Amino acid sequence: MTHPQPSRRQLLAGLGAAGTAALLSGCVTSTSSSKSSSSGAVTLQSNLSAPQAKAAMRDIVAAYGKRKSGNVSLNTVAAETFRTQLPTYLTSANPPDVYTWYPGSVADAYAKKDLLLDLGELWDGPELKGYSKALHSLCTASSGKKVFVPTTYYWWGMFYRKSNFAKWGVSEPKTWDEFLDLCDKLKSKGVAPIGLGAGGNTAWVASAWFDYLDIRINGAKYHRELLAGRHRFDDPQVRRVFDRWREVLPYFDPNGTAGAFQDATTALLNGRSGMMLIGTFFADAAPKDALDDIDFFRFPVIDPKVPLAEEAPTDGYFASARTGRREGVLDLLGYLATAEAQEIYIKGSSGTVLPCHPDAKDAGTPLVKKGREHIEEAVEITQFFNRDSSDALQPTADTALTKFLAKPKEIDSILTDWQREAEKIWKA
Amino acid sequence: MSATSTAVRRRRAATAGFHLGAGALALLWLLPIALVLVTSLRSFDDIAAHGLGGLPHSFTLDNFRQAWVDGGQQRALINSLLVTVPCVLATLALAAMAAFALSRYDLPLRRSLLLLMLGGNLLPPQILLIPVSKLSEMIGVYDTLPALIGVQIGFGVGFYVFVLHGFMRAIPAEIQQAAVVDGAGPWQVFWRIILPLTRPALAALSALSFTWIFNDLLWAITVLRSDTKMPITAALIGLQGQYVSMWNVIAAGSVIAAAPTVAVFLRFQRHFVAGLNLGAVK
Amino acid sequence: MAVLTAPHRKPPVPAPSRGGRARGPRRTPPLVLAFVLVPLLAEAVWVFWPAVQGFYLALTSWDGVSAPGFVGLGNFREMASDEVFRGALGHTVLWLVLFGGLSALLGLAAALLLQQERRGVGFYRAALFLPVVFSLVATALVWQAVYQPDGVLNELLESVGLGSLRHAWLADQDTALYAVIVPALWRQIGYVMVLYLAGLKGIDPALYEAAKVDGASAWQRFRHVTLPQLRSVNAVVVSVIIIDSLRSFDVVWSLTRGGPYHSSELLSTYMYSTAFQSLRLGYGSALAVVIFLLAFGVIASYLVRAFREAD
Repeated sequence: MTHPQPSRRQLLAGLGAAGTAALLSGCVTSTSSSKSSSSGAVTLQSNLSAPQAKAAMRDIVAAYGKRKSGNVSLNTVAAETFRTQLPTYLTSANPPDVYTWYPGSVADAYAKKDLLLDLGELWDGPELKGYSKALHSLCTASSGKKVFVPTTYYWWGMFYRKSNFAKWGVSEPKTWDEFLDLCDKLKSKGVAPIGLGAGGNTAWVASAWFDYLDIRINGAKYHRELLAGRHRFDDPQVRRVFDRWREVLPYFDPNGTAGAFQDATTALLNGRSGMMLIGTFFADAAPKDALDDIDFFRFPVIDPKVPLAEEAPTDGYFASARTGRREGVLDLLGYLATAEAQEIYIKGSSGTVLPCHPDAKDAGTPLVKKGREHIEEAVEITQFFNRDSSDALQPTADTALTKFLAKPKEIDSILTDWQREAEKIWKA
Repeated sequence: MSATSTAVRRRRAATAGFHLGAGALALLWLLPIALVLVTSLRSFDDIAAHGLGGLPHSFTLDNFRQAWVDGGQQRALINSLLVTVPCVLATLALAAMAAFALSRYDLPLRRSLLLLMLGGNLLPPQILLIPVSKLSEMIGVYDTLPALIGVQIGFGVGFYVFVLHGFMRAIPAEIQQAAVVDGAGPWQVFWRIILPLTRPALAALSALSFTWIFNDLLWAITVLRSDTKMPITAALIGLQGQYVSMWNVIAAGSVIAAAPTVAVFLRFQRHFVAGLNLGAVK
Repeated sequence: MAVLTAPHRKPPVPAPSRGGRARGPRRTPPLVLAFVLVPLLAEAVWVFWPAVQGFYLALTSWDGVSAPGFVGLGNFREMASDEVFRGALGHTVLWLVLFGGLSALLGLAAALLLQQERRGVGFYRAALFLPVVFSLVATALVWQAVYQPDGVLNELLESVGLGSLRHAWLADQDTALYAVIVPALWRQIGYVMVLYLAGLKGIDPALYEAAKVDGASAWQRFRHVTLPQLRSVNAVVVSVIIIDSLRSFDVVWSLTRGGPYHSSELLSTYMYSTAFQSLRLGYGSALAVVIFLLAFGVIASYLVRAFREAD
């Protein structure tokens, strides 16, 4: 049999190939700096893939088209796909113009790399000037430039089924002790007091508990600094969060980490669990005849001296800095910031979100009205774990919190591991 | 007489036993699929109220309509076929040619070449995602179906070369020798002799590659951006919402997505188990 | 290409395409060369070039957006002290043995069972192949429903009196990995069966006749006719199974994402979560290189042995 003879020619060819390869590998990491095309419709890349939300987006695009301002081509991809491809979109040679995303630290990450369009002139305009101060600061990047247009927001709370609470003879608690009493009463009735859906692919639901306990005990300022890497997860303040959590741990559904939150929703509505710390999107998972029966209460206050904070994640849009259709983009974003556009969206989607425009009308249901007051009473607003830090930090929280829920006694090693994993993300 | 009747009875018992055993196996295998089918016939409120594993309380065919029209599956199915059919043909043609050359001819380095081509498949595809998307951008085919075809061909050919090489190697040399003595050139040996003899393998690989390319998700997401160009599996995950997903529509969508591949498999499986065997050639 | 040199032995027979040598002509016809080079080129463009870039990324620290920073072997040094990596490596080896071994055995068994052309066999083959065909999104959903604490499996155990074995199969760190192997096998066996079916059809039935005439039992026929004839097909199938085991990603990811807290983490899921969730593409690429080396090592050693036997 012939054996391969490594000749000198082959060796040189091999080395040459390796050299060119190293040179060419520069290509994979380079971000092209050319401007994209300036003709054609403004492209809107959307991650709102739920059928209702998608239909609502189509309504907005149709309404925009009627105003003769220009054409928008809407592209909807699955939320998970969008998240993994967003860096690729933003660094490609012909990026989409406008994107759905979230303000705060997750947009700032891209703003720092000069990938986002400066929207300062929009924010000086009449529509956005009237937005709340909190929104103004949320949409400002660390460079001081405005890079984001917020359109809707929703809130988190302890949701329960009114008829079930009536059946069990319990009512909304106001303080932490009342909350513990409520849990005791529910447990005595054979109901798992606190539902959780941190299994399947929705482990992030558990982070809501961490967030809320942290902002109730240590305050929103500490919480934001912790997520930004300015404190450590093995600090004593964080330890206090988990000590408080252990007080309610016995009341958690033992199958809380075994199913996704959609299944936990079913359990809640069927009366197998009592209440759930979840966002209003949970109403989308409920059957229509149960919607009027859903109510919520504020996560109980633990320390009255800590300024009241609530989680109210905001959604909106930003644009690529390398778009060639700057005028069209600004026009579209300006329209999206109006009350009309936000009302169209709310009408077309499930109606459980609140508009950011101060004059826009919401869906008007009692639940939404209560939600508005709920947020307005808060002094500070946080966005949620991953939106206040980064999508990369979320899996570290998922691992740490699911482990804590299963093995609360190992809290010290859990926090040490969490800090170590988080440092890898913060340093990157 | 009694000997034949016991033989007949034994054969009948064997047939019955076979059908019982194979039937039970098939039933067990199909249970999860049956669950998908049941889910696709339920309404969303029913699933929300009773959970996925609960007994169905509703019956509706609307999910299929919703997946087909609203979910864009009609267009996605066409995209999938536009990509899969040329891919399967091109990939298997190229792979058959390379396998033929590497297995029937005394090429130098042929084993290294084979390992090299196979090596392309040893790398986890996830790590190639970003380089491939940048590459398709550089070539200028980003967000086009030909890019997806190109990637699928490039990524699949190494594996099929390897498989076909294994099958072609088993063909005895005398057959080829006889043809060469009769004056056949390499193309004729390939087309008239070797290819027909590997028909079982080719049919098997056609069915498999059709399935894989049709069901591919990763490459579609990587090189395509517009939702109008997405093939069917990518369109299927597009039915999932940000937080809440309509499992009934997704189940209906996957039934629709499975139909072409099942049809192809049923059509082809006759071939790779009824192909020519070597004895007949002799 | 410089790598292809003409073979050294040049026999004295003049005409290139005639002669009675055992394997083909001495000088390879240009058509045959083209047969090899065209597919090689296709693979080189779409796979090798991105792969080289992927290997280069393993030596950097990159978040996908800013410029990469060269760290040399830093990623590999981190890997050596990474506990999750060691766990994932162990799980991957376990997966290779369990999943790989079972899919080979059960796939061959299924192929042997369904190889005869008789009435209804097409239906049975299609039934086993259907999981391969069905999209993972829906089937993952259904398997999650099966494994839920109040799902099909636990209800079944309860009804046959084995209620004490109830588990939260996917959420319990002791059972998660093994629980995921079942749907993975469910999706794999049909495909292995198809490969073996094609191989079994290539076996000359005259050999079986001869064995039967010699009085061989079914088991002896299997051992002495089927298995040896399947050897070259086996090389293919076993390599395929090894590759698939080491690249197994979809099923594990969609059911557990490598959880709970890394107890079902495979190298492939760890690589994906590092690269696309933690956005540490350099470290993820380094993990991919390890997967590649592992796969290459296993396959190459197996194939070298298989080739040496056959030649």
